[in-house]
Parts: sequence; structure tokens; C-alpha cells
Amino acid sequence: MIDFTHVLAGPFCTRLLADFGADVARIESSKHPDSPWRTVKDPNLDRDVAYLVVNRNKRSVTINLKTEAGRELAARIAGVADVLVENFSAGVLDRVDLGYERLSAMNPRLVYVSMSGYGHSGPRRDWTSMNSNLQAYSGLMMSTGSESDPPISISNSWMDYVGGLHACFGIIQALSRRAVSGVGMRLDLSQFECGVSTIGPALMASAASRERPRRAGNRAAGAAPQGCYRCAGKDEWCAISVQTDEQWRALAQVMGFAPDSRFDSVLGRLKHHDEIDRLITAWTETRDKPDVEGLLKAAGVPAERMRRANEVAPDSSQPAGPFKPMSGPHAADVLFTTMPLGLSPATLAEPRSAGRLGEHTDDVLRSWLGMDNSEIEALRRAEVLA
Amino acid sequence: MSLVLDVTAHPAVYATRLLVEAGHSVIRIEPRAGDELRRMRPFLGDQPDLENGAYHQFFNAGKRSLTLDPSTSDGRAILLRLAGKAAAVLASEPLPVDEQALMEANPALVLATMDQDEPELCAYARSGLLAITGTPGQEPALLGSHMAYAAIGLYLATATAAAMLAAEQTGQGQRVRVSSADALGCFAEQSVVGWLAMGAVTERRGYRGAITAVSGGFPCLDGYWMVSLPHSAEGWARLMDWVQDPELAADPALADESERLKKRDFILDRLTQWSKRFPKEELVVEAQKRHIPASPVATALELAEDPQLTARGFLRQVDLPGLGTMTFPAGAIATVLETPMAPAPRLGADNHAILGELGYTTAEIGALLQSGAI
Repeated sequence: MIDFTHVLAGPFCTRLLADFGADVARIESSKHPDSPWRTVKDPNLDRDVAYLVVNRNKRSVTINLKTEAGRELAARIAGVADVLVENFSAGVLDRVDLGYERLSAMNPRLVYVSMSGYGHSGPRRDWTSMNSNLQAYSGLMMSTGSESDPPISISNSWMDYVGGLHACFGIIQALSRRAVSGVGMRLDLSQFECGVSTIGPALMASAASRERPRRAGNRAAGAAPQGCYRCAGKDEWCAISVQTDEQWRALAQVMGFAPDSRFDSVLGRLKHHDEIDRLITAWTETRDKPDVEGLLKAAGVPAERMRRANEVAPDSSQPAGPFKPMSGPHAADVLFTTMPLGLSPATLAEPRSAGRLGEHTDDVLRSWLGMDNSEIEALRRAEVLA
Repeated sequence: MSLVLDVTAHPAVYATRLLVEAGHSVIRIEPRAGDELRRMRPFLGDQPDLENGAYHQFFNAGKRSLTLDPSTSDGRAILLRLAGKAAAVLASEPLPVDEQALMEANPALVLATMDQDEPELCAYARSGLLAITGTPGQEPALLGSHMAYAAIGLYLATATAAAMLAAEQTGQGQRVRVSSADALGCFAEQSVVGWLAMGAVTERRGYRGAITAVSGGFPCLDGYWMVSLPHSAEGWARLMDWVQDPELAADPALADESERLKKRDFILDRLTQWSKRFPKEELVVEAQKRHIPASPVATALELAEDPQLTARGFLRQVDLPGLGTMTFPAGAIATVLETPMAPAPRLGADNHAILGELGYTTAEIGALLQSGAI
């Protein structure tokens, strides 16, 4: 796979493919070093640590696309690739003569994937977008929180992950189709549409009722009480979700509530949710969140304390959950998430840190294009491989 | 295109919706009373019933419905015969029939499962995502509309697709297991890496953002709009040229991002006063003309009429039986693959057809209905 992606949505997509075993060659420029988000530089590799994590299991090839010979070289690599992935703005690769028309004529089996913010067609095709714009426009911010809240975001690149996963799924489907048809295809994915898809039911309901959907906050339609309850300390919380009457009785016993028949059924608890929330908060706000969680869990009530990143991240000596140590010649001292899944008998690629910029240029030119050392040196002297 | 059997619960069901969007033939296997999605609010008609729930209509769109009781021997036999013809079975644990029987029925089968986790809000709190969703100091927020379930369903879909490709190439079946807790945990990678690499703990940022000095949501005449102004001096100059605010213009030092960060609240308050006078569409279109990344903060109702979604065929007009013609979101994958999307099936609508395809006679089907197996 030839990878022209940058920042996060595209590189995350190609990371998923690399984890599944694809040989991904990133085409990079020494003039514009890429980073998915700002962390710290790994001094040995001169790469952002976030880059090493997001671009694991891939190879790095430097080509200067500002030169005619560089563009030709990139086209030759695309000519032997199964998949090309890019997340530039609409029209950028066309302008350097690496558009779908030309490359698919050279390589009819190529699956050519664009994953821009809004897609390469429609009235918004040229809109610039950032993760926060997509969170806002896709409905995420007005679907989250309560009726009286301002818009609510998630403080990470949520949309990049959602877009990257959709793109990876689409690419694998295109490869399955190619196995039958023998020809590749163009996928013009819109990250905006990926986000909107995840609130599909709310969109359908609004279209039918002509009303904006009500924001439910942390409450559930068929379970009560449910919410995040303030605990002792600064900005500490515990999530509680009572699913059954039995769990409610257990919670009431742990918290020492007097029997109240109004709260016996879920309908009663939904009706008196505000009152129950006050009772629960009076109990939780004097207790530390691990105690709240522990006492409720011991009684069989679903509860989880709000964990910040430092409470989720395992100690590097004790990997836990999806977080595992990085391996490879340049392993940085960080953990990262492995794939949250297993395949059998197929296996996933063993995670290896990304390497230096251009580290695999010669390898890829030799193994993909059959170039010899003198050809590669000539390109290097002409500053094509920079 | 392949035959896929769908025995997923809500947390996993986006995976089978995506397989429909990719053009596969998906059979939703439901209890006779209908599955949980059919009972979820909101409903598209005036009265709640098993056919017009929004969750059912969205997630089961384009599937066929077979009601089946796998605890009966006939029901189990039907399921195994279907598995014998299927490329993949997707299920939430526990499996309706034992794994060994499924793989014996079809050694080339992809069997993909996801475990059942805690309630959504609790799983979200444990993953680290709750701590970064919401308004600073206020009760943290679960992502709305069950977006967390769509997120983990994406991993099940992707892993299943990869396994199906492998099975097509090798003729050998594949067993896929997705951990729902780990899948949600993967979405917290960014803040975990931030902590491990820099010792920085990401907190909730509300709607005002904190990436650059001038980023976040701003109130406007009809709601909110969102701006992400880059660090550069040029971006600031473009914004100033547009806003024409005398107080901001009086401070040329604001051309520097570090100065803007120091006076962030002042800037955001001035911009709020200005943008409150205009509707979001006008602001956003003008901002984009000036190469300032901006977008509306849209509600689901606004999205149902969005010009971009309409132009690209993401929004389609579909005739839903009993409900009439409705605006229907085809989905991101159906849009790029141009897949036709049919409405969700009525409960058990395809019982006769599916059993007929398996070779059951009309008399046998009648007996199966009588016995409660289907």
C-alpha cells in the first residue's frame, strides 16, 4: 500500500491495515515532517513520539514530489501497489499528476482511497476542516450532554479514529470486490459522513418529527438511576448505572436509604430521577471515588470511577488492557494500544515502532520496483529522494 | 456478495449495518418477540410499535429478518444449515449455538464475536474517555446517541472484513474475537500517550476548545458555530479583516499566538459579542471563503437537510412501509460504494423465503411455525 496520508485520520487508517499485515510504504517529505499531534521528539529518531505510535509497522520512503522525477517515481510505486491512501484536500494529488484517472490507467487493479473532510464532491468539497469542526458539524456536540448545556466536545481526535476505521473497512471491502472483478476502484470517503453515520437513528428521528432531538445527558431510557456522581476531592466522579430493581435495592442498602415505594420500579425511579440523584450525591460526595466504586461493585451495582489518562495508563512494567510495550529497533519508552481483537488462525503483525524518516527508501525501491543501487544513487544525487 | 448472519446486540450491531452498506446479504436473526432495537425510543411514527423504531430502522436497514428460537432442536438445525451457506456469523456473546457446531457446519466460516460489557456509561468511564468529555468542572458526559457503541462496532466490522478476505484467499475459516472494553480503550490512546510521553493529563474542554487560542464554539443568532483558527499570524489577519473589531484591532501584539493565548478569554468574549448578531450559515460560508476553518455546530435536525449530505447521496428519500417517504441516511460506506439501501424488514418478514431457500417445504415450514422453532 502506498500511503500519502498525514496527521491522524489517514495514518490511523493505514496503521490498522499495517496491523492486519499490509506492507505500507509512507511517502514522506523531509521538508514537511509529519506529526499526528504534538507530543515530544524522540531524540534518536528525530520523530514525535505520537508519530512513532501512529505509524508503527510501516515503512518510510522520502520522495520530493516538488520534482518531476519525484512525481514519476511516486507514480511508478503506485503502479505496482494494491492500494493508495491519501487525505489531502480535494484536488491536491490531481495537481501533482497523481490523480485517480492517470494512476488507474497505469494500474487498473489499484484501489485509490481519498479520505478528505467532506469528500471530493458536493458544495462543501473545498471546505477546510479540523477534528473540532467535524465534531461540531457531524452532530456529536449537540447529541452529547443535557438540554441546558452548551455544545459538548470530546478532547481528542475522535473524528480521526472514526474516519480511519470506516476507511479501513471500505478498503478491505474494495479488495474483496477486486478479488472477484479483477479491477480496483475509487473510494471518495468523507470523514464528515463517517461521523454523521454514527448518529444515524437520531437523524432519522429528526427527519420524521421535524424536531431537534432532546439531549438526554447521562440518563438512559430504560435504566435508572444512571449518571455520574460527584465524589470527594476536586472534580472527581463515579459513574453508576442501575439496570434492575435488585441492583436498586442493593444500592439503597449500601447508601443506607430509607425504603421508599416510589422508587421500587424503574418507571418510578425515572420519574423521581432528580430526587434520587440528590440522595446519591449526598452519599458519594463525602467519599473517595475508589471507595464509591468498590462498595457498589461489591454489592453487584454497575459502577466505574471516572479515570483520567494517568489512571488508565498502566505502569510500563505492567502492561494492561490494550496497552502493550512497543518493540523494534528504535522502541521509544512508551506503551501504545494494540488491536483490541484477535484472529485465528490468521495472526496480527507484531507491533514495531516507526523508524527514521526515509529509513526504508532503498528497500522499497529495490523490492517493489526492482531498482539497483546505481539507479537509486542517481535519484539521490538528483535530490529526488529528499 | 456474501451471506452474513447477524446475531448481534446493540453494542455490536453497527458492524452488520456496515456489511449491508458494503453490499452483503445480511440475515438478522431475532427472537419471535423481536429484538431489543425494535423497542428502543425514539419511534418514527405517532405510536411506538415494533416496526418504526429509529434504531431498528437505521441499524437493520437492508437486512432480512428471520425469527428463530435456537434453544429448540429445529431452530438450532436451521441456524446450522444457514451457517453452512454463510461467509460470516457475527454475534454478541454468548453464542446462540456452540462454536464447535458452527465451525463443523462450515469449516470456511468467519465467526466473529464481541463480549458483553458493563452498561455503556460505566464502560465509558473506565476507558478514560469520560474524563475528556464534557464541560470543565461540570458532570462529565457520555457521548450521546450511543456513539460509543458505533465506535466499538467499527472494530468488529473491520476485523470481520479482514477475516473474510483471508478466508476468501485461503478457503480456511477464521475466528475473530473483539474485546469491547479494549476497543473503547483504543479510542483513548491519544490522552494515554500524552500522559506516558509528557506526563500531561488531558481534561474536559467543553465547547471552547483549547488547541489554539482562537478555537471553539461561539454562540450565534441560531445556535453555535465552530472555528479553529491556526497558530499563524496570517489566519489572525484574515479574521481581523473580517470581524473589524476596534478593541481587537487596537492590539497589534495579538498577531502573535502566544499573546493570543494570554488574552484568550478577552478575545473569545469579543468574538462572541460579534458573532451573536449573525446566523451560523452566513458566518460559516463567509469564514470558508476567507480560508478560516469553520463549521456549523449542527443538530440532527439540521443534518437531515444538509446540502452536502444531500448532494453526495448520503441522504436519500426512501419509502418506509407504513410511514411513507422519509429522509434516510444511507451511511458513509453505502455512499462511497453507491450501494442501494432497502428499509428495515418487518419482524419475521423473510421466514418463508429463507427456509424455502434452505429447501424446507411449505408443509415443513408450517410445522416449524406451529412448534415455535420459528
